Amino acid sequence: MRALCWNGINDLGVETVGDPRIVNPHDVILQVRMSTTCGSDLHFIDGYIPTMRKGDVIGHEFMGTVVEKGPAVKKVQVGDRVVVPSFIGCGSCWYCQHDLWSLCDNTNPKGELQEPLFGYQTAGIYGYTHAFGGYAGAHAQFVRVPHADNDCFRVPEGVTDEQALFLSDAVPTGYMGADFCDIQPGQTVAVWGCGGVGLMAQKAAFLLGAERVIGIDRFPERLKLAREKVGAETISYEEVDSVLDVLKELTGGRGPDACIDAVGMEAHGTGVGAAYDRAKQAMRLQTDRGQALRQAILACRKGGILSVVGVYGFMDAFPLGAIMNKGLTVRSAQQHGQKYLPRLLEHVVKGELDPSFLATHRFSLEDAPKGYELFKKKQDGCVRAVFLPN
Amino acid sequence: MRDTIQQPGARLPAVSPRGGRLGSQWWGRPGRGLQRTSEERLPQLVSALAGGALLTLGLRRGKLGGVAMALAGGGLLFRGTRTEQEPYVHKHGVIVRKLRRQRGRDATVELTVLQRSITIQGTPEALYRRWCDAETLNQVMGHFADVTSSGEGLQHWKVPGVLGAELEWDAEVVEENPGELLRWQSVGDTALPNEGWVRFRPAPRDWGTEVTLRFVFDPPGGVVGEKAVQLLGAVPAALALKALKRFKSLVETGEIPTTRPNPAAREGGYSF
Repeated sequence: MRALCWNGINDLGVETVGDPRIVNPHDVILQVRMSTTCGSDLHFIDGYIPTMRKGDVIGHEFMGTVVEKGPAVKKVQVGDRVVVPSFIGCGSCWYCQHDLWSLCDNTNPKGELQEPLFGYQTAGIYGYTHAFGGYAGAHAQFVRVPHADNDCFRVPEGVTDEQALFLSDAVPTGYMGADFCDIQPGQTVAVWGCGGVGLMAQKAAFLLGAERVIGIDRFPERLKLAREKVGAETISYEEVDSVLDVLKELTGGRGPDACIDAVGMEAHGTGVGAAYDRAKQAMRLQTDRGQALRQAILACRKGGILSVVGVYGFMDAFPLGAIMNKGLTVRSAQQHGQKYLPRLLEHVVKGELDPSFLATHRFSLEDAPKGYELFKKKQDGCVRAVFLPN
Repeated sequence: MRDTIQQPGARLPAVSPRGGRLGSQWWGRPGRGLQRTSEERLPQLVSALAGGALLTLGLRRGKLGGVAMALAGGGLLFRGTRTEQEPYVHKHGVIVRKLRRQRGRDATVELTVLQRSITIQGTPEALYRRWCDAETLNQVMGHFADVTSSGEGLQHWKVPGVLGAELEWDAEVVEENPGELLRWQSVGDTALPNEGWVRFRPAPRDWGTEVTLRFVFDPPGGVVGEKAVQLLGAVPAALALKALKRFKSLVETGEIPTTRPNPAAREGGYSF
């Protein structure tokens, strides 16, 4: 089959690779209908997350049709149109049983690669480094999905492929970020980042009862989406002297009740902190540029909640003093998609949520490298590039 | 095997350094006039661990045999902790170490002790039964050895090596307490004498069972011993944890996670 492969830092290519096979009894094979770029892919494309190997198939946000199933698969049927969360969950371990799916004990066959950095292993992901399991990704004609009965969610009729696609990662990640904020009526939530995850976090904050949502970014077209598609207020951080001051003025001097970081380790920023990060990252002295996160910590009101859904590696210059002295609650995780998928599908069916506006560009699989280029450089108003592999 | 409870000395995993079959084979080396080294302190540590385990098990049991076990365990705990000469263990609480020991006049070899624990959904009894299943053991140890049943309480272990340089041994179950502990040791002539045990203890709340696996590889001196240890792989310390992870996945999900084979643009379209 054809698949988009990582051939080195900033080197993606469409290659011919072997077809995936049923390996374990709970596997299914999916014919991929749609897959999409994710900002977290840029971290290993740019070489900031290690343990990629030349020739790895990438892509972890996807939906498709079941074409083959293993002998132990019971609920999922061949022909089902399904969406699959990016993190693989076994459904049986203590973590899955407690709806903490991205912490699954049983889906990372190479967990020993994570233990030096994290202490314990996490769940595996499709197409996202060998430390996260080394599973082949979904920017391909076919993909193997383990533990299909837990991880495949049937897409109801009337829900389009594009609506379902983003329920794989952008929507559950954003929704979980808002869920972490324990939003009470009348509260204000600020979200750093107006990409796919950030926009969905803003939307979810409204769904979960926030009175005001403030989106922060620098790209006018993304800020426009936040205003027009989500109903958020926006701040362009390049156009104001101090995001902190603006947030204070918007909230009567109190600050947002909760702050969500939907940016992660390659934050762009302005000022001394950003220059410091950029220099250290360029010299490979640190993996992370943390301007957005630092700003969120500073801006959050006393006793508020900091929700981190951006992806980080090993960041220094982390203002723990602000967290400690202001009594912030920090909540974070990779997405527990399987927990949220049923209610997200319900929101879509009821017309309360339509994430398909994230799909600003469509490409065939053969043009996927172009799609990533556009996405990475945020050219032509690109929020998400969607691939149609078949 | 309940009757063995009355003889706590016989129950101890590699605990008795001076007495008993295992002790004299493995730890004591009586008559060699060893100096008091860290290697000699290990039995105390083992005593402490096993003593603690016995104490716990015994107290939980709550019967006469249990009381005997608890007493024996308490005694061992005391014995194990009375001299604080095991700084590594006090610091880390986990044993993965190589102990250098003099074997003969010139040869120094390393005794490799691996111990790891994992928590698994399920009762100690169910997990114990699963472990004792011959096919389970073969799957669980599949990352480094083929294990086949070669008779009642006997297993044949084979570690593949390059150019036919395989490592083989027969292991005999020397202690079994259903739902609690299984201990085995290699018998007869082998390049890598070894022993191991697996222990099952109830975990708190809804966590299931804490399973501890211990391997001790005790190679003979010289080149033969070195080669034997090399066959265990680049990171023998990972052996125990890997085996436990594989066991956990197998019993919790019915499969062991793997990406073999996996589509990739290398080596003929697949990575292994």
